[in-house]
Amino acid sequence: MLGSERGVVEEWLSEYKVLPETQLPAYAATLHRKKTLVSSLYKVIQDPNNELLEPICHQLFELYRSSEVRFKRFTMQFLPELICVYLRLTASRDRQSNGCIEALLLGIYNLEIADKDGNNKILSFTIPSLSKPSIYHEPSSLGSMALTEGALSQHDLIRVVYSDLHPQRETFTAQNRFEVLSFLMLCYNSAIVYMPPSSYQSLCRMGSRLCVGGFPRQHEKHWKDLCGRVVLDPEFMVQLLTGVYHAIYNGEWHLGQEVLDDIIYRAQLELYSQPLLVANAIKNSLPFDAPDSSQQGQKVLKVEVTPTVPRISRTAITTASIRRHRWRREDGFDFSCGSNPGSPTMRIIKDLGANREGDVLVYTTPETTSPDAASEGPEGTLTGEDILNITDADEGFSSAASVSSQPLSGKQTSSSRSGSRKGGSMRSVKEKESVAQTKPSESARDSTPRKQNIPVAADPTLEGIELSPMKKHLSLPAGHVVPKANSISLIRTSSTSSSKSFDYVNGSKSGGSSGIDTNLSACNTNRFSTISLQEDRLVHTMEGKDLLSPGAPLTKQSRSPSFNMQLISQV
Amino acid sequence: MATKKAGSRLETEIERCRSECQWDRIHELVKQLSAKLISNDDMAELLLGEAKLEQYLKDNPIKQGTSPRGPRPKLTDVRKHLTAALDRGNLKPDLMQEVNLLMAKLNYVEGDYREALSVYARVGLDDLQLVASPAYKLRMIAEAFSTKGLCLEKLPTSSSTNSLHLDRDQEIITCYEKAGDIALLYLQEIERVQTANLQNRSPKPGPVAPDQELSFFLETGLQRAHVLYFKNGNLTRGVGRFRELLRAVETRTTQNLRMTIARQLAEILLRGMCEQSYWNPLEEPPNKSPLDDPFRHELNTKSYPLSRRPKVYMGENIFCPQENTEEALLLLLISESMANRDAVLSRIPEHKNDRIISLQSASVVYDLLTIALGRRGQFEMLSECLERAMKFAFEEFHLWYQFALSLMAAGKSARAVKVLRECIRLKPEDATIPLLAAKLCMGSLHWMEEAERFAKMVVDCGEKSPEFKAKGYLALGLTYSLQASDASLRGVQEDLQRKALLAFHRAHSLSPTDHLAAFYLALQLAISRQIPEALGYVRQALQLQGDDSNSLHLLALLLSAQKHYHDALNIIDMALSEYPENFILLFSKVKLESLCRGPDEALLTCKHMLQIWKSCYNLTNPSDSGRGSSLLDRAIADRRQLNTITLPDFSDPETGCSSEAPHTHGFYSMFSVRSVHATSIAASRVEQALSEVASSLQSSAPKQGPLHPWMTLAQIWLHAAEVYIGIGKPTEATACVQEAANLFPMSHNVLYMRGQVAELRGNIDDAKRWYEEALSISPTHVKSMQRLSLILHHLGRYSLAEKILRDAVQVNSTAHEVWNSLGEVLQAQGNDDAATECFLTALELEASSPVVPFTIIPRVL
Repeated sequence: MLGSERGVVEEWLSEYKVLPETQLPAYAATLHRKKTLVSSLYKVIQDPNNELLEPICHQLFELYRSSEVRFKRFTMQFLPELICVYLRLTASRDRQSNGCIEALLLGIYNLEIADKDGNNKILSFTIPSLSKPSIYHEPSSLGSMALTEGALSQHDLIRVVYSDLHPQRETFTAQNRFEVLSFLMLCYNSAIVYMPPSSYQSLCRMGSRLCVGGFPRQHEKHWKDLCGRVVLDPEFMVQLLTGVYHAIYNGEWHLGQEVLDDIIYRAQLELYSQPLLVANAIKNSLPFDAPDSSQQGQKVLKVEVTPTVPRISRTAITTASIRRHRWRREDGFDFSCGSNPGSPTMRIIKDLGANREGDVLVYTTPETTSPDAASEGPEGTLTGEDILNITDADEGFSSAASVSSQPLSGKQTSSSRSGSRKGGSMRSVKEKESVAQTKPSESARDSTPRKQNIPVAADPTLEGIELSPMKKHLSLPAGHVVPKANSISLIRTSSTSSSKSFDYVNGSKSGGSSGIDTNLSACNTNRFSTISLQEDRLVHTMEGKDLLSPGAPLTKQSRSPSFNMQLISQV
Repeated sequence: MATKKAGSRLETEIERCRSECQWDRIHELVKQLSAKLISNDDMAELLLGEAKLEQYLKDNPIKQGTSPRGPRPKLTDVRKHLTAALDRGNLKPDLMQEVNLLMAKLNYVEGDYREALSVYARVGLDDLQLVASPAYKLRMIAEAFSTKGLCLEKLPTSSSTNSLHLDRDQEIITCYEKAGDIALLYLQEIERVQTANLQNRSPKPGPVAPDQELSFFLETGLQRAHVLYFKNGNLTRGVGRFRELLRAVETRTTQNLRMTIARQLAEILLRGMCEQSYWNPLEEPPNKSPLDDPFRHELNTKSYPLSRRPKVYMGENIFCPQENTEEALLLLLISESMANRDAVLSRIPEHKNDRIISLQSASVVYDLLTIALGRRGQFEMLSECLERAMKFAFEEFHLWYQFALSLMAAGKSARAVKVLRECIRLKPEDATIPLLAAKLCMGSLHWMEEAERFAKMVVDCGEKSPEFKAKGYLALGLTYSLQASDASLRGVQEDLQRKALLAFHRAHSLSPTDHLAAFYLALQLAISRQIPEALGYVRQALQLQGDDSNSLHLLALLLSAQKHYHDALNIIDMALSEYPENFILLFSKVKLESLCRGPDEALLTCKHMLQIWKSCYNLTNPSDSGRGSSLLDRAIADRRQLNTITLPDFSDPETGCSSEAPHTHGFYSMFSVRSVHATSIAASRVEQALSEVASSLQSSAPKQGPLHPWMTLAQIWLHAAEVYIGIGKPTEATACVQEAANLFPMSHNVLYMRGQVAELRGNIDDAKRWYEEALSISPTHVKSMQRLSLILHHLGRYSLAEKILRDAVQVNSTAHEVWNSLGEVLQAQGNDDAATECFLTALELEASSPVVPFTIIPRVL
């Protein structure tokens, strides 16, 4: 360390002490411009044997404690360097010499965990939900809604606490070390915009050294360090990544990407899923074009005019196009393409006519036909439904709920009529599909698949007979809800044998709705109910009317709310 | 009359075509119009000029970033029409304005920027009426503003003064902002009209209006303003402009634009802003912000008059983000739902490009979602989001891998393993993936065969960097080691232990600086009772990683095996100074203290543990009462607890079998799931179910919350009970056992301890019954077997006692008490040779027996 640098630091140490209260704001305004001071301070911090280290740490803490936010940020900029030095000293035997850095870090931590009134600071945020209108959207206009379990179970916004109840800490222990450091990094990240470029560089340096030091990869680095491996914690690494992500786009394009790779390397070796997940995402989303490398420290936050025309050709089948398609079509869909259920193909199951439920994508593999394949276990084969429970029930759900779909309801009945004209064979294919879909829902697994498997194996016409009664029951409530001209036909149920097969359907229903794939089961039931519309048209007998009263309460129990909504909007 | 009606219908039709930009129909309509009245001639000129100009632009679209120059021969016709209309001047003033606007546009297309600007000045562009204007007029005005901005950008600034330059910049941006606002207004208006038409015409669905495509001018107007802001380094106003655009109610035409800018704004929020620099969309932006270029000083509030602005989303309880990540998430969710809708599902080769486009736009959104949710630790929600990405994922490694990692981070191990298997198929050369899978299998899933297969994949797979290969051997060694603890046949057990040792040796030699390799080697040696060798390696491990709790614990246990209890206790105390809340260490401490410092110290430690337990769990678990509301909540609460403490391992100190992973926090792991014998896992599930049933009968028992804290508490009580039993105080011991029994009435440990108390009281029949009950729940509980057989021995039922003891030896061949008992039973039966054999084994084992079985130390990758 040069004498002049030492002089700058000593001057800084003394001048703050004698500064009158009134001049503090003015001093704060000039402080961050003292470039030589900052670089000299870095040098002192990096050298654990420097006798200036202790007064500096003390002074930095004094600054942090002051009410002036610019002083706080001045101290904050050294945080990455401090953490780096602290961790590396801790990893080596040399634990005594970092006493003052430890004290400074703990001091900042203890100040940060409390708010102005000395209460524990609780950091929380709200997980937005698309089902609630916001200043940027309206649920109905989106057409497709994220119908996750979370969204279903609470349509309200979820408030999540991501950091709270940190106790005061007097000392560092191996146990609390990363709890403290992760929280400090969180604080740093929440003010990262105010940090100077030198701090970003220090952050990147810290990342590299902590992640790679002591590992074979260190040999590829130009820096030499005689330091063992430093233990890292996954959450701390995620916080580190947050800072590095900012640095990449705000001046440290090259350095930042190097650290990113180092973090990925370390996360892979430690088998930490969380930092690996975030780091992969950061790496994958890097823009392809590097910024002008001649301009060091350039910000890369740029935006281009992007073409607004849909770039996807009209002929391609997309989730949306299927929906559009179905709206326009008056006739049933030809099922010939899905006639070999055993083959591992990606199939898009389209529904008849205007039944606007979700498009269901079933990844069918031969295994799906046997119920055993669905059982969980180490030997469980990679069946499609286990991984790919891709359902798009979200769409159907929301569009059914949206007001804009109302005028179209007239079309539905007509389409169902036309659908009923088609023969039983088409129906049977469809039922096979719906059986295949019930399986993924986990709770239904233990009861339904085995039972439903029997009709699958059976002759198609027989299936139709067996499955038809239950649909009637499911559709009954709809008739109650909207007693219009159309619904009269709904009440005309048929087949006296209905009560027999009814039991197990009801069982499967309630199983499905309580299961994890609620949307899926809702989607299935909807399918059933549509079919029932057709069935009713076919049979036209009045004798089933008395079945209505015992049937209705049962179905009421088993109905899930979403199912209800769909029915209402359908009739 | 009839003609008038026909005329007005014709006019409406013309207006509609102009609004919807159906220029090809205009020609025919103009013919009809001219047939009606001669005074319509000028009108016809206007319409024809417009139609031809627009048709030309449609056929020769201007590309973004390029500028037109020079007169075009094809456009002379247009100029003729427009000049004709202008020269005659018979048109009404508002129609004259339209002709002028068209003229200016033509001038721009031909590259005459100055002329265009002067026309705009003549018309008084800023004063044009927006209220009650037909939709096509709004479009024209919007395009005019946009064109004006383009012209201004093209012309060199007259003065070089900086402040004037700034004014000019601002003027340009304001032009674009107005153009954008009016364009949005136009799009909203036209959509309103269209839907109204659609409804009027209800029964037969008329020809659906073709999807609007934004013209070059509208597109520029909508986007150029924020592009310029970012170019000029004014992030604050750029963000503000983004928000204005997004707040406008969406139309079909703007959907794509919204999807893009929602994503772009999210990017800006995540990459360029932080919590402290954030202001919410309904607030005034800060006057000075570090986000902006410090050398430019502009006002951050916008102020330009506009008589009509586009409709924005409004409502009573409308959600407005209050935080950086919140807004980014909202935008990303919106963008995601749109990207998802555009997912190209067909796999035919012709749609390859479409698929790539839809995949790319979705993939960016999912990556940003990962970044946003990851920094807030919301992995449960993230896994749900990424699951929706699976419709894009066919043969896409990145999406599969990210999905697998999110499942892993969210603790959904079983599914994560299955998805990882697909990842391995897609990228077989990556060693990390099978290692991750092996880690999961070894953890809460306890799929040992699977784990072994994954570990072998890493080891067998060609050239790798040594550190990954070492990790592979470590994984392999751990699976063997854990399988050895599972094995019920001694031969198999020994074979597996040998294999484990070999693997650990390989790992250690490949990566000598990895403390884990040295540590597990030491642990495996300790389990095979090679105490001095184990000590050597554990010292190495500690040199590499001085404050590793497991290494310190192992060192202490090794010292206790050599009967250096005081040294062991010192090590434990040292470890506890670094890990004051580590319950496994504390449990060992209790055992050691009761051995060398007396029961009082041990009881104090128990009391201390209760205090720690209280401060740990009561403090961090405020949401207990509201549990069960949603999976998400549960996951969050669980995660927070996992963060605050290292969960103790619930290895059974008696069966000497291995443990569940402590922090993978197996959902079924009860406080008795310590022995990994299949029977034992089954037993613990039964036990859990029974405990739940039993405790539901007593209202006082705590049921909510994750099981771990309660398991720990029960363990503490049982340890206290043991100490009391050791000093012969049955009443206190009973009280402690009762506390544990309140938590887990059907735990075999509780039942065993009840048996011990009964024995202490001299109540042999009761004791026998308790032991039998313990064994009926966990048939491989060695401690119970040993005590039961002792009782049977006293009752004279030698052969049954011998049978039970032989079973116990099969389960755990290193329990010296069992060998000793077996010797006694054999002696009583007169089988002296065999008895001697047993006693010798017991002696030998006792000499290397630690105070707590080595297997209490968790073995996880």
